Formats: sequence, C-alpha cells, structure tokens
Amino acid sequence: MTSQPTRAERLDRAVDEVLDGVTPGIAAASVGLDQSDRPLVRTAASLRGAFEATLVAPRFEARLGARLAGATGSPWILRHPGRLIVTGAVGSAVGVGVTAYAVWRSSRRPGVAVRLAHR
Amino acid sequence: MSGEPLREARPATDPDLADVLAAQRDRAAFGRLYRRYVDRVYGYAFYLLGDHHDAEDATERTFLAALAALERYRDTGSTFRAWLFRIAHNQLANALRARGRQQEASLDAVVEQATDDDPAGALGRAEDRRRLQRALEELPEDRRQVVVLRFVDGLSAREIGAVLDRSEGAVRVLQHRALRDLAAILER
Repeated sequence: MTSQPTRAERLDRAVDEVLDGVTPGIAAASVGLDQSDRPLVRTAASLRGAFEATLVAPRFEARLGARLAGATGSPWILRHPGRLIVTGAVGSAVGVGVTAYAVWRSSRRPGVAVRLAHR
Repeated sequence: MSGEPLREARPATDPDLADVLAAQRDRAAFGRLYRRYVDRVYGYAFYLLGDHHDAEDATERTFLAALAALERYRDTGSTFRAWLFRIAHNQLANALRARGRQQEASLDAVVEQATDDDPAGALGRAEDRRRLQRALEELPEDRRQVVVLRFVDGLSAREIGAVLDRSEGAVRVLQHRALRDLAAILER
C-alpha cells in the first residue's frame, strides 16, 4: 500500500519542479499542493531567481588550482590553466625587470665598481 | 495527483561516480570534479559565511580535504556531491565556531556580484535579492543551511540529509518551515 505524501513531501516535489524551471502555479498544481502552501512555492521560485551562481575569483582559483595541481601532479586541474601561466609569466617578467634594473643601477654607481675593483 | 507516490529522490546512479573512480586511480582526474564543484562549494560557503575571504578559505580547505580523503570514498548510497558538501559543511562549522558567532558579515556583498545587461531589471532583481538575503539571515542556522544547499547548490532532500546528518524527512520539514518563515518575513 502506498502512503499519502506529507505536506512537506509535496512541497519538496513542487520545489523540485520549480528548480527545473516550472512556474510556481503549475508546480503547485502538479503535486496537488494544499492551498495554504501555494505561497511557499512562489517563495521558492523567488529564491531560485535570487541566488545567482557565485563564481570564484580568478586569482583564488589560480591559487587553489596550483595547490591541487601540486598535489595531483597535473596542471590541467585548472579550469583556466592560462591564468596560472599568465600569472607565472607576469611574476617572472617582474622578477627579470627588477634584477635588470638592479644590475643597471649598480653598474652606474662608481662606488660599487670601485669596491669591486679593490677586492 | 496528491495520491501519486513520490518519485525516488536519489538518482539511479551517482553522475559523478565514474569521475570519482577515475580520480581514485589517478589523482589528476580529480580536476574534473574540482572544476564541476568549485563554484558551488564556494557559493555554499559564501552564502553561509557572508564573507569572500572566509568562503575562499573554507573552499580551499574543503577541496584539499576531499583530495586527501578521496581514496577512502565509497559509494554507500548517497552521492559524491553529498560527500563533498559534507566536508564543506564541517569546514563551515569550524569557521563559524572560530568566528564565535553564527553570522557576522552582511550578505550585501553578494548583490554587488550581480551583473546584467539590463540595468533597470538588474536593479529590481538586486533589490529582490537584498530582501531575500536579509530574510534568510533571520532564519535559524539549520533552516538557512537547507535553503542554501537546496537553492544555491541544487542538492536533493536526500543529499542534504547526508550533508547535515539528518533524515530525508527531517530535511523536508526544515525546508517547509524555512519557506513558511521566509514567506512570512517577506510579507511584513
């Protein structure tokens, strides 16, 4: 024998329908929802529309992806591996630039050259 | 109609199972699961914690813990995503305990994330979101958890039960009460 679904079960079924894109009125009717619970399906539909997908920040994803990639031994764990590559490339370029500037600065300071010459 | 038996909430097979088994053989395959769930785990954390940095921290801990525990994962009747969100739930519980109170930051920042090609429509929707999110903050934590897992992450009542260590029926009752409370708050 099949037991009758409870109000909470009917509402859950209506929420399933709403989450699948069915309008609240049709969802409520299709599961035989009590009249008093029909506003709750409208609230469910509002919630579905309110919670937009929350996307992680690219920098965070690159950081976490890099940690997971290190743990798994695969760089392809990232959704956008290019971000990590670009981040690394920019970091390397900045490092090279800073080093080149330091070398250039030191080469223009006679004191340094003199000290080196006297070593 | 109302006498019709409810459909089985559990999917016939866990849609992630093949990827989980692949990742257990070769950890590099974990990337597919990570890509599939990183935004959703982050969304769960963000809507519960209300802070981007805390949500990122909880998301990071969740995936590192999941990767470390993946070999021990067994298909025991629930789904991989319920298992993953259970790990996230534990991380959130730790974060909330560390914070010392249930909800600290405002969820207004969520609204700022919304982008839209229709500015007028976006404004109205942003206002709706703000009202709903404030109403959500008034719910007891267990009801808020159910709402976020159901409407942000799309988990079934059965999966939410596995995450929160409640029965499927208890989750449905919590959902019913949460929607009733939200409807009443929004009518004030």
